[in-house]
Amino acid sequence: MSKQGGRGGAAAAKGKKSAKPGAGDKREDVLQAVILADSFQDRFKPFTLEKPRCLLPLVNVPIIEYTLEFLASNGVQEVFIYCGAHSEDVENYIQASPRWSPGSTISPFATLDFIRVSNANSVGDFLRDLDKRGLIAGDFILVHGDLVSNIQLDAVLAKHRARREQSSDNCMTMVLRSVGEQPHRAAKARGITPVFVVDSTTGRCLQYEETHPLQSDHYLTLDPSLLSHGEFEIRSDLVDCGIDICTPEVLALWSESFDYELPRKNFLHGVLKDWELNGKMIYAEILDDGYAARASNLQMYDCISRDVLERWTLPFVPDSNLLHGQTYRRVKGGSYMEDHVSVERGSKVAQSAVGKGTEIQAGSSISRSVIGRRCKIGKNVRIEDSYIWDDAVIGDGTSVVHSVIACSAVVGAGCRIPEGSLISYNVQIDNHIQLPPRPIPRISLLADEGKTAKTDPSLVGPTGKGASYQLPTFDEDSDDEEEGQRDPSILQSSLIYSLEALNLSTSSISTLASGAYDSEDNMSTASSLHAGEAGQTRSRVSSFTSDASSRGGFHNDAVHGLVDALRADDSEDFDSAKLEFMGLRLANNASDSAMRRAITVAFCRRAAELLDPQHGGLEPTKAAEKALTAKRNAVRFIKEVGVGGDEVTQQAEFALALQRALLGEREHQQHLELARAGTLLAAMLQQLYSLDVLEEDGILAWWGDKRASESEEMAKVKEKCRVLVEWLENADEEEDEEDEDEDEDSD
Amino acid sequence: MAPSQATHTPSLEKLVKSLKGQSLEASIEALIFLLKRRQVKGDECAQATAHILRQVVAKARWQDVDQLLSQIQSAGSRLARAAPHEPVIGNIVRRVLGLIRDERQATIPIRPSPAVLTSTAGLQVSKSMFNLLSVAEPDGSPMTGGSTPLSQATQPTSVHTLRSEVMDGIEEIMDEIGQADDQIASFADIQIHPGDFVLAYQPSKTVERFLIKAASRRRFTLFIAGLEPFTNGTSDAPYATLRKKLSAAGVNTISLSSNGLMAYIPRVNKVILGAKAVYQNGGLLVDSGCCIAAQVAHEYLKPVIALSPVYKFCPEDPSYDVSRGWLGNPSTYVSYGNGPEVDAIVVENTVTDYIPPELVDVYLTNLGPQTRHHIASILADHYKTEDLAFSMQLD
Repeated sequence: MSKQGGRGGAAAAKGKKSAKPGAGDKREDVLQAVILADSFQDRFKPFTLEKPRCLLPLVNVPIIEYTLEFLASNGVQEVFIYCGAHSEDVENYIQASPRWSPGSTISPFATLDFIRVSNANSVGDFLRDLDKRGLIAGDFILVHGDLVSNIQLDAVLAKHRARREQSSDNCMTMVLRSVGEQPHRAAKARGITPVFVVDSTTGRCLQYEETHPLQSDHYLTLDPSLLSHGEFEIRSDLVDCGIDICTPEVLALWSESFDYELPRKNFLHGVLKDWELNGKMIYAEILDDGYAARASNLQMYDCISRDVLERWTLPFVPDSNLLHGQTYRRVKGGSYMEDHVSVERGSKVAQSAVGKGTEIQAGSSISRSVIGRRCKIGKNVRIEDSYIWDDAVIGDGTSVVHSVIACSAVVGAGCRIPEGSLISYNVQIDNHIQLPPRPIPRISLLADEGKTAKTDPSLVGPTGKGASYQLPTFDEDSDDEEEGQRDPSILQSSLIYSLEALNLSTSSISTLASGAYDSEDNMSTASSLHAGEAGQTRSRVSSFTSDASSRGGFHNDAVHGLVDALRADDSEDFDSAKLEFMGLRLANNASDSAMRRAITVAFCRRAAELLDPQHGGLEPTKAAEKALTAKRNAVRFIKEVGVGGDEVTQQAEFALALQRALLGEREHQQHLELARAGTLLAAMLQQLYSLDVLEEDGILAWWGDKRASESEEMAKVKEKCRVLVEWLENADEEEDEEDEDEDEDSD
Repeated sequence: MAPSQATHTPSLEKLVKSLKGQSLEASIEALIFLLKRRQVKGDECAQATAHILRQVVAKARWQDVDQLLSQIQSAGSRLARAAPHEPVIGNIVRRVLGLIRDERQATIPIRPSPAVLTSTAGLQVSKSMFNLLSVAEPDGSPMTGGSTPLSQATQPTSVHTLRSEVMDGIEEIMDEIGQADDQIASFADIQIHPGDFVLAYQPSKTVERFLIKAASRRRFTLFIAGLEPFTNGTSDAPYATLRKKLSAAGVNTISLSSNGLMAYIPRVNKVILGAKAVYQNGGLLVDSGCCIAAQVAHEYLKPVIALSPVYKFCPEDPSYDVSRGWLGNPSTYVSYGNGPEVDAIVVENTVTDYIPPELVDVYLTNLGPQTRHHIASILADHYKTEDLAFSMQLD
């Protein structure tokens, strides 16, 4: 059996590439790979306004070099690169590269093609386009353009092939890196925690979910059919490095589902969920050694840079000089320096990398940092944990801590660049500027959509250039202000993983199986987002809207739908709103608690609105009554969907959700004082009691629940219901002897 | 039909197979990146370098010897700089350069001279005439273990002949590299005596072959020390085959952990190390940990025998990097999955040690056992003075 050789066989192999797609039993000798060089995300802004993410320097090497070298080290022969934003830049870079240029004789790839897709808005569009083109002959490796990895895929490829030969339904293998259960910088930095449910014996992935620290319900809903499956593991300790080994069937699956956008959240989740329909199986290959990570956000960029400096990524370390023309050598102090670096006496460089032509003047200290080429570092400069790209200038006596300073930026003398600062290309900062630590400075010459930002002299000084860059807000609903901030992407858009400022719980999902809600609702979101003081003692912040982002906007959409229906004056009917709600629920696979919350928030919002003088200024009892009973069938909807059953625990949960929802409303409706909110809660509970939605046992269970008084505000609101509860207890004793005199509208 | 056999990972084997169909530049770059990515390392480097230099001779455009020399120098220095941690590459390049210089001398018509015993006797005159720039000093005897092809009575004049001569010479070097381990092993029964207690620290391929050969002739007891600290529970797997072969031959093997070294050393008769390189001062580049063994043996006045083929003898002094040790991947000692450790500790995993010359007693080469004092003459035999600083030439 003659084995098709490596590189030499490339030219020959290209000729016989005519292998029919889908010919499963035919052995493909040519390994193909697809690089997704755009991820349609904003996480590296403002740097990605000018340059694509994959060309940003990571330890002075453009990130895509690591990706290409990874593919080359695995013997990939044909590469397709999908570029989105800044596609010319990526193409020009590759064309100009002596090693990767498609015409180059020394390229390790037989072919390297760029594919441009006009009007692509997501990774999904790329892959559907790839399916149409029919370029893929057999198994291929799908990676992102920001991958840094030294994994050897041979064993994984062999396993994948063996599985595919067993059944053509085994269509994809994901390569995942285990990072252990203890807190890990790579795991922390990823923002969203992927949760894989994996069959213990076969490695088949059964379910995929994502969690993130900003959501309040730290639990997952497992597909009940899993329980009949046998042994499986639920793993949240994995770093998803985005290496997928796919068969062409995967592309067909993408094409079938035209609305999938993200490879994990949409595609993987969807395919696994609809397993009964499509019958496709996806496997997870969990590696315990080797290095793999994606520079998918600035924190990962930070983390990977440190890993490279500490040689976890060997052989992709500075002194391997993988990039053409690099001349790094290891020097004393655990640093790497290129030739022609001048370090004056009396300055210290430790655990850093310094590029060619950089001058470091006397008395400066640089630690755990990366300095690009031709930088000028003045006297007595202190640089820690920072990334200074090519041609930057830093004046005497300046201190830079844990920041990124992009190419050709100029920082004057005596400045202070606080932690987490992002200073974009060509920005100039005047002498003696102390940038404020909060909000975290992001200074750029450009604003979104290619506009030039107007220089802000109060920030960068009279002769400076640059303005604060505002991250695009993600909220489409302008009234829902905290939505944008609550999106998990906030965790990923800054260099420092600022959980301190966000006040989050660190509980892992594994603790959550025990209790449904263990979260406390903290309503002072706006203030705590900027709270830098360590004095903040709250263990976590969770908001109702945060769930929305994790559930694909379910909460938000549902609340809006319901509130609109409740507001509508022309129609008495609630059925269409109910139908819409149930549709949303199915589409998003919302959990019971998410539904409960959406419903309580909607009704509370309506009721609170009615208290407002603009909407009639009703008394709490009247408002509660109107909100709940104005629409036909609304009550039944609450009973069936919101409460979900007659059990005491469900009713107590509903009452609790109601209490929280009311407190949440205070964020939106300023006029709602705490006392009034309490009165409204009592009125609503009473109304629900008299409408037979809640029973006394349920309300009493809620009254006794510790969670109902876990914060001061919660306790205050609850206190207002004491009258109602006492009355209920009496009623209980007297066993319905007297009729409720406040029962005004029972039907 | 085993599809899992179809590996895609590039390797030396694949590179060698592909050499024919590939341009020279592509081959050189391919090897450079194999070296940079550590996909060719250790003993493979010598063979790989020889293969590529042979390609340079065969494919590069050159009209005369000087052009060929500069071609080899430029390709060689690129390879050497791609893997500064593999000094063997430089040695092979120097060997090939020396070979070409020898060929050049052979091609100059030499007037019949009284000294017919050695074909190179009339050299110094003709060399200085031919190339004024080259240093006209005696190189010692250019007769080497195998690097100098026989000079023929009929003087090759054309480039074509020179090319085939040089290629033959490189093939001889390749043969020498291939046979070196066996030749070293053939001295095993001289070095190891019945009843010896031998300590081998992290036995390399060369050492393994040596020990197996010795086991076929002698009965001795072997201590294997320096097992890697973290090899996922299969700690003795790397040497399992060696131990099986040795026990089949009736040699008792005992595994020692590194901290047991001191306790056993009084019983040991000799310590055997495999060198990655031998420097001209007699210092050794070895796998990390070996230095302790050598140090301990020195304390207890036990002989340390370094096994090293001649091609690993470097005509240079150890650099600062060498004496400090090359760094590997910290994951040998700390798992990347161990978050708190990864965050808190910077792990420097030195994968090589430098053993100073005073700790080594015998250098066992494929040409026989040598002492430190012989190193200079071995180097003089194999390398030309012009080539000593080759890696610093050119860019």
